[in-house]
Amino acid sequence: MTALLHGLDIREASRAPLARADPAAKLAVATVISVALILTVDPVTAGVALALELAFLPWCGLSPRKLFRSSWIILLGAVPAGLLTLVFGVDGGDVLLGLGPVSVTEGSLSSAVAITLRILAIGLPGVVLLATTDPTDLADSLAQILRLPHRFVLSALAALRLVGLLAQEWQTLTMARRARGFDHGLRQLLGQVFALLVIAIRRGTVLATTMEARGFGVDAPRTWARPAHFGLFDWAVVLGGVAVAALATGAGLWLGTWNLVLA
Amino acid sequence: MSSTPWSGPRLFTAVGAVVLAAVIYLVGLPEGMSVFGTTLADLTLPAALFVGTAGVAVTAATARAGRWRVVDIVTASVLGVAGGLVFAIWNAASTPLRDAMVPPASALVVGVWLFPAVLGALVVRKPGAAVYTELVAATLSALVGNEWGFATVWYGLVEGMGAEVVFALLLYRRYGLPSALFAGAGAGVVVGLMDSLIYYPEVSPGVKLAYVVIATGSGVVIAGLGSWLLTGALARTGTLAPLASGRSAERV
Repeated sequence: MTALLHGLDIREASRAPLARADPAAKLAVATVISVALILTVDPVTAGVALALELAFLPWCGLSPRKLFRSSWIILLGAVPAGLLTLVFGVDGGDVLLGLGPVSVTEGSLSSAVAITLRILAIGLPGVVLLATTDPTDLADSLAQILRLPHRFVLSALAALRLVGLLAQEWQTLTMARRARGFDHGLRQLLGQVFALLVIAIRRGTVLATTMEARGFGVDAPRTWARPAHFGLFDWAVVLGGVAVAALATGAGLWLGTWNLVLA
Repeated sequence: MSSTPWSGPRLFTAVGAVVLAAVIYLVGLPEGMSVFGTTLADLTLPAALFVGTAGVAVTAATARAGRWRVVDIVTASVLGVAGGLVFAIWNAASTPLRDAMVPPASALVVGVWLFPAVLGALVVRKPGAAVYTELVAATLSALVGNEWGFATVWYGLVEGMGAEVVFALLLYRRYGLPSALFAGAGAGVVVGLMDSLIYYPEVSPGVKLAYVVIATGSGVVIAGLGSWLLTGALARTGTLAPLASGRSAERV
C-alpha cells in the first residue's frame, strides 16, 4: 500500500515560471485544452496541441526524468486505445492489412493516430498540473481564487492528510490479524478493508469535533494563513492555454479535418 | 443563517428552473426526432412541466435536507479519501484484467470506480454528497497517479452527478436499496457514455450501446448493491452514530 502512494510526494517547490503559476491558472489551462480536444477526433488538432504543449514544457520545471516518472503511465491508456481503434474501428479507405475479420484500413489507421495523439494532448497539461502543484496550494487557490466553499475544500485537505495515517493503520491491522491467526485470502482482505474503513470514519468524526472546537465552520469571515494571489502572470498563463486551444482548433478547421464528435 | 427555504442561490436555482421550463415550452422540442412513434414535439408540454416542477421540488428538498454540518463534510471527505485509496489499488490491479478484455466487455469492471458516489450519499444523506465524495476520491486517484491523469477528476465530477441526479429526483428522502441501485445505474450510464465518447469514439454504435448497458449493470451491482451492503454493515458497527444514516440504523 505504501508503495502505491509514492506518487503523492514527488512534488517539490519548483523555480520554473509555469510551475510557480497559481494552481487555479494551471487548472484553467488544463480545462480549456481538454474541452477543445474532447470536441473533436482528428490528428491535426491533437497533433498541433501536443506540439505546442511540448514547446512550453521546458518552462514547466520538470526534468525529463521526473516528467517520464509522472507521465509514462498515460501511455498505458493512450496506446491500447489507439491499437483498439486500429483493429476494431470503423473501416474506410484501402485495406492495409487483413487477417480474417480483423482488418487495418487507412480510415482506422488515421483515427487510431488521432486518438492516441488526443489522449496524450489531453493528458500532458494535467501531468504538469499534478506534478508541480502541492495539495495545500491547490486548496488555498480553490478556496480563495475560485471561491469554492472553504469548509469543503479545507475538510478535503484535512482528510487527505489522513492518507499517511491510514497506511500506518493498515500495517497495524495486518500485524494484529496475523497475530490472531487469520490467513491470507480474499475474504480476509475484504474484512481488513472494512476494518480500515471503520477506523477511517471514526477518525473522521473525532477530527470533525476537534475542528469545530477550534471554531471551524462558524459563519464568521475566514482568514487565511497563506493568501493566494492571482496576478498578471497568471492571467498570461491562462491566455497561453486559450491560445494553444484556439491555434489547435484553428489548424484543424483550416485543414478541414476538425469534426464535432457529438454530431 | 436564514430560516426560510427561498433565499440566495436557492431562489435563483428555482427561478432558473421555471425560466428553463418556459423556454422549453416556447421554443418546443424538435419535430424531426421520434421515440417509440411519438415525435418529440408532442412531448413539449410534459417536458416543460417536468423540468419546472422537478427543479422547484429538488431545490425545496435541498432546504429540507438541511445544511451540511462539519461532521458531515469531514465524514464525506474521509469516505472520499478511502475511496481514492481503493481506486489507487484497483487502477493497478485491474490493468491486466482490462487489457485482456476488449470493449464492451471491459465495462464490467467500471462499477468499482463508482461506489464512493453511492456510498457517500447513503452515509451522509445531504444534497451533493454523491458528487463531493466521488470528486474527492477521483482527485486522490489522480494525485497518486494513474493512466488517465487529470481527466480522472472530470470523470469523478460527472460520475458523481450521475448518482446525484437519482437522489435529487427522490427529493433526498429515500436512501434504501432501490435508490442505491438506481443511483449506481445513473453513474454507470454516465461513465459508459463518457468512455465511449472519449476513449472509443470510432467504434460502431452497437458496441457503444453494449458498452453503456454493461457499464450500467456493473454500476447497479458493484456500486449500488455493494454500497448499500457496506452502509448497512457500517451502521451495525455504530460508527455512523453521529450521522443521519446512523440515527436510522434500524431501518437500513
